Amino acid sequence: MSDTLSFLLMAWLNPGLLGLTALGVLAGIYIGAIPGLSVTMAVSILISFTFSWDINNALALMVGIYVGGVYGGSRTAILLNIPGAPSAVATAFDGYPLGQRGEAGRAIGLSTVMSVIGGLIGVAVLAGTAPYLSDLALQFAPRDYFLIAVLGLLLVSSLSGKSLSRGIFSVALGSVIGLVGMDMVTAQPRLTMGQMELLGGIHYVVVMIGLFGVAEALYQLHNLAKVPIKQKVDKIVPPLNMVLKFLPLSIRTAIIGVVVGALPGTGGDIASLFAYDHAKRTVKNPSRPFGEGAYEGLVAPETANNAAVGGAYVPMLTLGMPGDAVTAVIIGALVIHGLNPGPMLMIETPHIFWFTVGNLALANIFLLIFGLTGIKIFSKIVEVPKAVLIPLILVLCVVGTYSINSNMTEVYWMLGFGILGYWLKVFGFQMGPIILGVILGPLLDESYRQAMSSVGDRSGDFLLALVSNPLSLVLTSVITLVLLSNTPLKGWLFRRFGRS
Amino acid sequence: MSKKIERVQAGEKVFDWLLLLLSIGVLIEAYRIDGGLRLNSAGSFPVGLALVMLVSALALIVSHRYKRRDERIHSALHELQVFLHEHFKPHIVVFSVGAVIYLAAIVWASFYVSTFIFLAAMFIYFRQGRVVSSLIITTAAIAVIYVLFTVVFRVYLP
Amino acid sequence: MLKPLFTSLAVSLGSLALASSALADYPQRNIQGTIQWGAGGATDNVVRSLTPHVEEILGTTIVLTNRPGGTGVIGMNHVMRQRADGYNMLFGAENPQLYPLMGLADFTYDDMHTVNIIGQGLVVIAAPENSPFDSFAELLEYAHENPNELRMGGTGAGGLPSTVHAMINAVDELDVRTVTFGGDGPGITAMLGGHIDFMPLSLAAAGEQIRGGKLKGLAILTAEEIESLPGVPPITEALPDIESFLPWGPFWGVFVHQDTPDDIKATLEDAYEQAVGKEEFTEFLQNFGAEPLNLRGEEAQEYLSNWQSVTAWSMYEADADALEASPEELGIPRP
Repeated sequence: MSDTLSFLLMAWLNPGLLGLTALGVLAGIYIGAIPGLSVTMAVSILISFTFSWDINNALALMVGIYVGGVYGGSRTAILLNIPGAPSAVATAFDGYPLGQRGEAGRAIGLSTVMSVIGGLIGVAVLAGTAPYLSDLALQFAPRDYFLIAVLGLLLVSSLSGKSLSRGIFSVALGSVIGLVGMDMVTAQPRLTMGQMELLGGIHYVVVMIGLFGVAEALYQLHNLAKVPIKQKVDKIVPPLNMVLKFLPLSIRTAIIGVVVGALPGTGGDIASLFAYDHAKRTVKNPSRPFGEGAYEGLVAPETANNAAVGGAYVPMLTLGMPGDAVTAVIIGALVIHGLNPGPMLMIETPHIFWFTVGNLALANIFLLIFGLTGIKIFSKIVEVPKAVLIPLILVLCVVGTYSINSNMTEVYWMLGFGILGYWLKVFGFQMGPIILGVILGPLLDESYRQAMSSVGDRSGDFLLALVSNPLSLVLTSVITLVLLSNTPLKGWLFRRFGRS
Repeated sequence: MSKKIERVQAGEKVFDWLLLLLSIGVLIEAYRIDGGLRLNSAGSFPVGLALVMLVSALALIVSHRYKRRDERIHSALHELQVFLHEHFKPHIVVFSVGAVIYLAAIVWASFYVSTFIFLAAMFIYFRQGRVVSSLIITTAAIAVIYVLFTVVFRVYLP
Repeated sequence: MLKPLFTSLAVSLGSLALASSALADYPQRNIQGTIQWGAGGATDNVVRSLTPHVEEILGTTIVLTNRPGGTGVIGMNHVMRQRADGYNMLFGAENPQLYPLMGLADFTYDDMHTVNIIGQGLVVIAAPENSPFDSFAELLEYAHENPNELRMGGTGAGGLPSTVHAMINAVDELDVRTVTFGGDGPGITAMLGGHIDFMPLSLAAAGEQIRGGKLKGLAILTAEEIESLPGVPPITEALPDIESFLPWGPFWGVFVHQDTPDDIKATLEDAYEQAVGKEEFTEFLQNFGAEPLNLRGEEAQEYLSNWQSVTAWSMYEADADALEASPEELGIPRP
């Protein structure tokens, strides 16, 4: 027990580790805030960089960057409507309207506090239930991932604004974009129009930067002369009663975040979209209508994506299986440092587990400190004249896209998506459903085909499996419920059975 | 949503048809993957999704069928004029053309040179000729990009 | 701000003028290293742990970039289109040797210069811990009685499981349902949950799971039992005929453009030979579930051709219809 405690507190008591964690969080916030610079990329660069270091030092820095980076994506989402990372896409829905009301400071302050609460809940779940949660995660068969993807697609109704047919078109378009590239099973090119550069598919961050960054820049060119909104920066730290008011929601969305994060096939991006949808469905009287600057719409995705960090570590530390792209790279780092990530990791080197838990908690404390300082300067970005801001956004989009795969073709695609996004925006299409499609399309295709192959291509067996397994049955029922509650059938059922 | 009768924007109906065209294009590309409809193959989802696109694009066209354009617009020609006036203002055109030239220039004139010229030109144009301050902002921005991407992240920019 | 341009202009002009003497000073600047596979994968891990040793020997920085996609076609295509000045290297796995066969691209490693074949991974056929089968022979017997019932994890056409499956089919018959995953990791995860019945995997990916008792090793793709995985029978026990294909495994190598000047090729070959030979790295490879090869020049070339002929012909014999071209058409000799 005392061993456990000493591993847990190792990062808290050692000045060197303390410093590295702090440095990591600070760097992570800025890496996360810049679209195109990703945590995955930063951590993989760190592997070569920290090769000769002590493993604990390397891990402390990586944990810091991970925690800071997931949070950092919300900054640009709130200030510029350009999510710094896919997991901040949902943050932009209500965060940006808040910024436009002059409440950018308040929004960033609230998102910081909620991220920390989410992050800490994630760590607590990791510390307390890691083995059980990883057992649960393993129960998810391909058919269950298929059901999750279907459930995710139903989010389109909360993301598509006033026109459902536009939303459905956007989701399908996004999914098609996500499927471009070499087919995973047969290795034949799909929708590549004969282009070799497209064999690897279109990276979803490329789509995101184009649709949010360039499209937004072009859109804002319409009112170039408009004077930027003065930001109120006096009330940054949210008052306690405000935090308490949103606490039940943030606990619920944090749990969504941990569970979705712990599933090896899904991560913070999907978790935050689910959380946003959950808030929209369950909060009856939001502070403002969703999409126009509701605090609830900001709280939900922000708690979920940071809670997903703790979740992603669950399968990594218990089984040596990555929970997302970042933990995959961290596993690589462990291998290079001579450790053996796998089911024996917790038994042979338990200190790695407890050290990581303690370090994650510490990183969240630093997140609170760094997140709440420097907001005043950050908020001023919104006050930069558009004449300066817009060309800079375009350059940033170019550099950001190029740094993903060092590929100029992807930069051209990014610009193409920007122009497409501009026209879609002009004619009332939302960007959210397109990104939803890009993220879920490949998961849907992959898991469906895995599930079908598993039952020997017999569609009868496939349908039967969806209701005969307890876990699948639960997911199927949830989907049915959501479908019913979204259609006129609900009213009919209510009248029919409500009376009797 | 306003109480007024919803009206389509200038060019919206044309855009609807363009989306339909896009859907048909995707459907043809998707059909070519395995040249038929099968339940579990590389082409099944692309074809299915293309059909969804097609149906929703049709739904959009049908829903706009009875909506009128703005009363002040009296002919197709006028609609075109309004459309051009709205979306092809000089500074938008300059920016878009500048962006395309900039992307093309990166490959043969190196990233930093073309970025410098693009930023400087855009700043000077948008800020109505304040040359000195524009050049200073450009230099500062390039310096930040250089330090962040080339030095810290070792991104090898073209 | 035009300074970087002038400097690079001056450098390139200077190097043009002093072409012969400047080459002797290679490397003068950072080297760009392209990894064919994604961050965190086996190729990535091997390359990232080798690179610091090489950097030390060459006295320069190697900037590593992952360019995954299209079974490695994209990364390789990129390096082949760069200048042949020794400042662009490719770190790749075995896949390019099969590109023409699969119709993915018309080039192979023959179109580049091999600096070093670093090592070769071992392959193990694994099953969940509660699997009713204790050896591959039992599984094979069951599959003969119940065709198209067992679920095998795969990683797509041309991936390691499909190649191993082809080898088995070349000497016996194994009729199973193939469930395709995005890589070793997702496949192992599905197997831990019992969603597939077995999967051929690289030892680097599955070794820890087998040692931890979460997976069962049914057979190892060697002719003899190996030290690091006691109790797992060699595949030749179940399928003696497969020995003609062995030793076989995925490999990792370093490559540069074909037209790179000879002295630069030599500098790089020397550096990599020294780095791969370092005890620290050799230990890492063994711990990783792979054996060091450290081949250069003729030996490397021979290894590559042999690997290609064994793999291509076994795939052809197993299922000729799945291939875009026959090995004969491509001029690949029979093993």
